[in-house]
Amino acid sequence: MTTQLGGPVTRALPAPDNDEPPERNTGLTGRIVKIVLLGLVVAIAIWAAFPLVANEAWIGLGILVATTAVLLWLYLTPRHIPAKYLAPGTVLLIAFQIFPVLYTASTAFTNYGDGHRGNKDEAVVAIESASVTQVPGSLQYALSVATTGNPATGPLVFLITDPVSKQVSAGDADGLKKIDDATVSSSGKVTAADGYTILNAGQASLRSKEITDLAVPVDGGAIRSSGLSRAYEGKAGRAYDKACDCVRDTTTGKTWTADESLGAFVAADGERLAQGWKVGVGFSNFTRVVTDRSISGPFLSTLVWNFAFALGSTGGTFILGMLVALALHSKKVRGRNVYRLLLVLPYAMPAFAMLLVWRDMFNTDFGLINNLFGLHVNWMGETGTARLAVLLVQLWLGYPYMFLVTTGALQAIPAELSEASRIDGAGAWQSFRRIVLPLLMVALTPLLISSFAFNFNNFNAIYLTTEGGPFPADNPMNGATDLLITYTYRLAFGGSGAQYGYAAAISIFIFMIVGVVSAIAFRRTRAQEEVYA
Amino acid sequence: MKRWMKQVGWRHAVGLLAVAFSLGPILFVLSAAFNPLGTLSSSQLMPTGLSFGNFQKLLTDTDFPKWFLNSVVIAGVASAVSVFLSALAAYAFSRRRFRGRRVGLLSLLLIQMFPQFLAVVAIFLIFGTITDYWPSIGFNTWWGIILLYLGGALGVSTWLMKGFFDTVPRELDESATVDGASHVEIFFRILLPLVAPVLAVTGLLAFISTINEFVLANIFLTDSGSKTLSVGLWGLVAAEQRNTNFGIFCAGTLLTAIPTVLVFQMLQRYIVEGLTAGAVKG
Amino acid sequence: MRLRAMGVVAAMTIPLLAAGCGGSKNDTATTDNPSAKAATGELVIWADDKRAAALKPFADKFGTENGVTVKIQAISKDQQTTFVTASQQGSGPDVMVGAHDWIGNLVQNGAIDPVQLSADQKAGIAENALKAVTFNGQTYGVPYATENIALIRNTELAPEAPATIEDLVSAGQKLKTEKKASEILSLQVGQTGDAYHLYPLYASAGGYLFGTSANGDYNAKDLGVGNPASVAAFKKIATLGEKGSGALKRSITSDNSISTFTGKKSAFLISGPWAITDIKKAGIKYDITPVPAFAGGKPATPFLGVQTFYVASKGKNKALAQEFVTNYVTTPDLAVALYNAEPRPPALTAAFDQVKGSDPDLAKWQDAGKNAIPLPAIPEMAAIWDPFGKAEAAIIGGADPAKTIEAAGKTISGSIK
Repeated sequence: MTTQLGGPVTRALPAPDNDEPPERNTGLTGRIVKIVLLGLVVAIAIWAAFPLVANEAWIGLGILVATTAVLLWLYLTPRHIPAKYLAPGTVLLIAFQIFPVLYTASTAFTNYGDGHRGNKDEAVVAIESASVTQVPGSLQYALSVATTGNPATGPLVFLITDPVSKQVSAGDADGLKKIDDATVSSSGKVTAADGYTILNAGQASLRSKEITDLAVPVDGGAIRSSGLSRAYEGKAGRAYDKACDCVRDTTTGKTWTADESLGAFVAADGERLAQGWKVGVGFSNFTRVVTDRSISGPFLSTLVWNFAFALGSTGGTFILGMLVALALHSKKVRGRNVYRLLLVLPYAMPAFAMLLVWRDMFNTDFGLINNLFGLHVNWMGETGTARLAVLLVQLWLGYPYMFLVTTGALQAIPAELSEASRIDGAGAWQSFRRIVLPLLMVALTPLLISSFAFNFNNFNAIYLTTEGGPFPADNPMNGATDLLITYTYRLAFGGSGAQYGYAAAISIFIFMIVGVVSAIAFRRTRAQEEVYA
Repeated sequence: MKRWMKQVGWRHAVGLLAVAFSLGPILFVLSAAFNPLGTLSSSQLMPTGLSFGNFQKLLTDTDFPKWFLNSVVIAGVASAVSVFLSALAAYAFSRRRFRGRRVGLLSLLLIQMFPQFLAVVAIFLIFGTITDYWPSIGFNTWWGIILLYLGGALGVSTWLMKGFFDTVPRELDESATVDGASHVEIFFRILLPLVAPVLAVTGLLAFISTINEFVLANIFLTDSGSKTLSVGLWGLVAAEQRNTNFGIFCAGTLLTAIPTVLVFQMLQRYIVEGLTAGAVKG
Repeated sequence: MRLRAMGVVAAMTIPLLAAGCGGSKNDTATTDNPSAKAATGELVIWADDKRAAALKPFADKFGTENGVTVKIQAISKDQQTTFVTASQQGSGPDVMVGAHDWIGNLVQNGAIDPVQLSADQKAGIAENALKAVTFNGQTYGVPYATENIALIRNTELAPEAPATIEDLVSAGQKLKTEKKASEILSLQVGQTGDAYHLYPLYASAGGYLFGTSANGDYNAKDLGVGNPASVAAFKKIATLGEKGSGALKRSITSDNSISTFTGKKSAFLISGPWAITDIKKAGIKYDITPVPAFAGGKPATPFLGVQTFYVASKGKNKALAQEFVTNYVTTPDLAVALYNAEPRPPALTAAFDQVKGSDPDLAKWQDAGKNAIPLPAIPEMAAIWDPFGKAEAAIIGGADPAKTIEAAGKTISGSIK
């Protein structure tokens, strides 16, 4: 994975181009740069390989070698020019975006979520360790962790002192035996004993897992450590039995049998143990989305508002941003730098902070907006005003972005073009419509599409202002300003615990809807794209 | 005068209105930051008192200077590299015709739309592994989070730049090719200088979005000294503390804008001047 | 030419390779045995920002005393989810600091281990705090501070503590007509409600969230939201709402409830110990009394929240984590320091006694919380907050109590299953 570190720059190298006539020899500097960068890629790959080899992570090593080999091959052969330009970003994209998305999507077919996060073995360990209790009436002992050998590797022994008789015993996995020649401190802890080396906390903490795992068998239970200075006689109340694939309560004898379709241990009376595990559930998350009335019912209205929000945010910011950019796009306007700086400020402030500030400004009784204009509007409490408010906030947050981009795009449009058309007698509006706007749109259409996509899923814009509200009194699950993504979030995480599998399934549905819409919008850009082709 | 109004005056009017709209809420933050009480409803649009107490507390009680440094380094490196990666990809998408081009472009867009709050689990999975093998690029490191941000380098900014590359006439590259320039030379010597304003805009936007990001940074950077501004500031107003720390929070918000404004000032020259229009269109 | 380039790459690689090897040796050593990274063991503790800062000196002290490295890390947002997810992927801490009502969810995810406290240690912890961290008969963490809400009043505006909610409302209304205050009461509601702050009134009016089974544990099958008692309770609450006396309003939110009080817009505030710092800063004379009940109603019991240290099941250094939590957190010094960072009553009786002399508020908080019931720690509780809060906000805004709370009950029981 580290190959990417070298990757980005590698791209820059002139590759000998055999397929692009006329053949041309790139400069010596170019070649040296290329060689150095490729060498760096190899060096990084080798650096990354060592830990993989040491840990025998052969699959990881395989991926590393393959990635490096493909990169070298790509840049040392003259073909595949587009790939040369795309590779560095793509390697990173695959590792940190595509893989997470695919991984998440795959959980849609499981019950992954709270109570079902790990595998079955982890669930069994969790059940057993949660059931260990102190044997009633038993004692707590002062503990010293010791060894008969080297502090780092020697076999571990618990030296424990009986609080009543002050008798010192040494315990290991074979059991407890009394020892007599031990020095005991006032707190009861053994500080020295013949034949044993006492571990200090630093040494002991290096062998933490062995200490936690060590149980000294005694009648009726086992002596375990509680930290590094106390031990208690504990007994596991529940144990897993492989024979029946069930968990048994050691006192009552009640059993919970593993149910592989639920990913949980279930008793005959239907009681389920809380600690479950992740299992595949097929398409049931998807059917739940479709069949559950509480989801499919408000889905359509949420979808419509979601589109309105994304269009309104994108369109509003674009129009305002462009208007301001056009207004300031003239050498005659003095202080344009100051204007630009002030205008870009809303965008420079942390967006989440400003969302919180805006929410307070919309407060009915104490908010700045009502106070300033002498209104008494419950902005966030009515459907219409709440929607207006979130759009206004988006406008404020987003138009500096459009302003900047349009300003950048306007620079690329030669002034002569529009001036020429004016001389031809076209008015300002006409020259804008006929010359400037089409050129702007070539540059900005892709941006508008991506801005639409961003706003379609703009979680923070809603979550930090209205939280999706106002909500109808009889339905707390779906509010008037809810976007599909905030709605998903509430459905998946608002109930008792997070349900990632379910959330992933809803996301896949949304993903498909947006995908189709974007693809249709995208088709229309084809014509524009070829303007200069 | 009438002529001036028509040619220049309305431009100032639009500009001033926009500035008023932009600065209103910021004034609110400003007055809260300088308000000695520093609570929310005590803050009005006009500052009621002038005190640097909030700034002082921010600088002494928190690791703010460290957050600041982390943010600037992370956002600076990540945005610079990602603009470069994006420009490379945009060149391929704009100038080269290859199979899967449009599908690739569309996929870049769609990937951005997957809810990030769900990807958190996978990111723990990836970086948990990376931290085990290569701790120097794992959790709580600059490199790690920069890598993570670079995963999103191809995306919105690629689209943005592709749009601008499309406005540069292809005849330009074609004549250069006839003159014997390789595609690398065309990219570096002809296209990049022509789209300098766009590089500047994209760079600025990437810088801003990185410095404001907090979903990933929150899980990634847990050592107090390794946090970024947005995570650190969020910590100040988390849950029931919002009342108490609002003044400090506003002070932090204002200071956070400083690097962005500086970067903007630095890049403004490119954004504003570009190259002479004549050269652009040949 | 291509071959030549490859040759040069190969040649270039050799010195880099050598450098790579040199550098990698150390890495290999560390990755072979992660704990060998430091010469001693390492203990990682996660908390929120404020507590992380308060813990730092004590963690350092524990580290030096025991010859181990202690790292305190602050999680700024979504502490519980981040902890569970990180733990599952093996990137979590050894010790987690958080609220006691996380226990149910943490246990079902196998994220925390029970702790075994000695009888002496248990005796040193306030009884209700210990009860709060007990889940399915096991103790799941060591409490260090408790918190509950109470009525805080501005003694200059309202010298007498109201005996009932009705008294409070009439006192508030009087101040309002005299233009001494603009709000009757400051109790945070917001557009989406706040079940935690409303609970005392809800309980006083006869409502409950979950019933309890014979052993005192919450019973998730007995949901109290949506039943006739809750309808009756919300009818009473509606009389305080925007269409009623106006004591409860949606415009009072978590953002402005405390500042409404410190700005003298209201003589009464229902809030917790976290509000005191601000109130003192504003120089307001105040008193703390239990939340008053409705006249003739049940006691207005607030929720008890307990801040707790947990031992992470999947921590890398569990023995040390157990040592820290069971044998170090149980000493009063740490509790006192955490109290100094944020004035919440310590859960350790020894620490409480140590600080109560210098802080008269502590006894008042304790008195206000003497009937407090621990926040239900069962995972099902997570399903309550959101629908309950929204129903609350809707009813305060004037919606029909019966219809609204019944719909909320249906939503909740639907997501509990």
